[in-house]
Amino acid sequence: MEDPESFTLLPVSIDPTSKAITSTSHSRALQAELTALNELHKSLKNIESAVPPPPIPVNQKRSAQINKLRESGNDAFRKGKHPEAIKFYTLGLQMALTRPLWEPSGLVRDEVSGLYANRAQAHMAMSNWVEGAVDAEASVEAKKAGNSKAWWRRGRCLVEMGRIQEAKGWIGRGLEMEGTEADLVGLLKEIEAKEKKCKVFEKEICI
Amino acid sequence: MFSVDWWSLGLPLAYITVLLGSLITFSSLYRKRKANASATLAPWFPQHLSKDIYLSLLHLEPEPGQEKPPVVPDSIIRAALLRRAVEDIRRIIQIRSAKPACTALLQRGSVGDDLNERFLRAEKDMEDELRDVVQEANALSEGWGNVIFQSANEIAANTAFRKSLNEIQAKAPAEKEWWEKRRAFIQTEFMKELEEGSTYGDGAVAEGVKKKSKK
Repeated sequence: MEDPESFTLLPVSIDPTSKAITSTSHSRALQAELTALNELHKSLKNIESAVPPPPIPVNQKRSAQINKLRESGNDAFRKGKHPEAIKFYTLGLQMALTRPLWEPSGLVRDEVSGLYANRAQAHMAMSNWVEGAVDAEASVEAKKAGNSKAWWRRGRCLVEMGRIQEAKGWIGRGLEMEGTEADLVGLLKEIEAKEKKCKVFEKEICI
Repeated sequence: MFSVDWWSLGLPLAYITVLLGSLITFSSLYRKRKANASATLAPWFPQHLSKDIYLSLLHLEPEPGQEKPPVVPDSIIRAALLRRAVEDIRRIIQIRSAKPACTALLQRGSVGDDLNERFLRAEKDMEDELRDVVQEANALSEGWGNVIFQSANEIAANTAFRKSLNEIQAKAPAEKEWWEKRRAFIQTEFMKELEEGSTYGDGAVAEGVKKKSKK
């Protein structure tokens, strides 16, 4: 093992005008690391203090904006303007995901899971099953427990696309996380009934 | 007047000197050997890239034709130190999650002492590394050492989370393509059924419609 005082001198250099760090090396890992470094440097320059503030307390301004976008989206959804609602949710998602990286990840997860779940609903209202399924999955990825709506929405989308087996597995996992949520249990029963029916008809496409 | 019996005093003193001398020689030899043995052990972690970048930035070489090395702004040094702290967080998590498994395997005799030595060495190195980063942070900006690892922790968690979200979202185009094909296929199948139905009479048509309405 190497001596703790020693290090590998890397062939890095600094651009005098843009202050970006570059390297003549072809190592992919080094290039990726340098890209990350330059991005972090850029986002560090945007803040007032010299160093990133501690994760808590949080900058409330951005949270308020995200909430506002979600409310606008919800309003549009209620009025039946689904594409508009999707636009609002997408803006909100961009806002939440471009938070500086050193802000609390738990907060980002919360905001993102709600927005993805709502966007999935809007997509479902327009029968965009693929987008709905992907968004609901993203929502679950952000928040696994206490997110039964998103579990149900992806299950529904999969059923609509005829992916019965996948839907069954998904809802099964959802029930493990959510306990006995009535909506999920209902959907699982529906899926099982459909599965039986498809077996009887021996049809390749099961919708 | 008492006279000193140099012989009877010198003998025990000589005895003690020889004893201590041999003990010290043994101890120093033993330690040197042990240090050598652990120095030849393979490292637990691969190269610490962000640490090397940080140190390379501190020791930049002058460009050809110029005497002084280029000046690196403090903001870049801070960013580089933060990247280093993020990588440290990742390594700490790895060590913590590997520790119970490593201990259990060692107790059962499934792994050799070598692995355990390497693991302990990595743990110790990590402690030194953390202390070093805190010191550097405090030197760059007063009081930063207290919070740098909190920030680094959030950065590590946020990066991992965004990566998994991107992976999920990246699946959308392929799924969309699949669904378009599938839908077209279902439609042609349905049309075929309808056509077949019309040659056989009304009953079959009703059957075809019924199948569709199951959706």
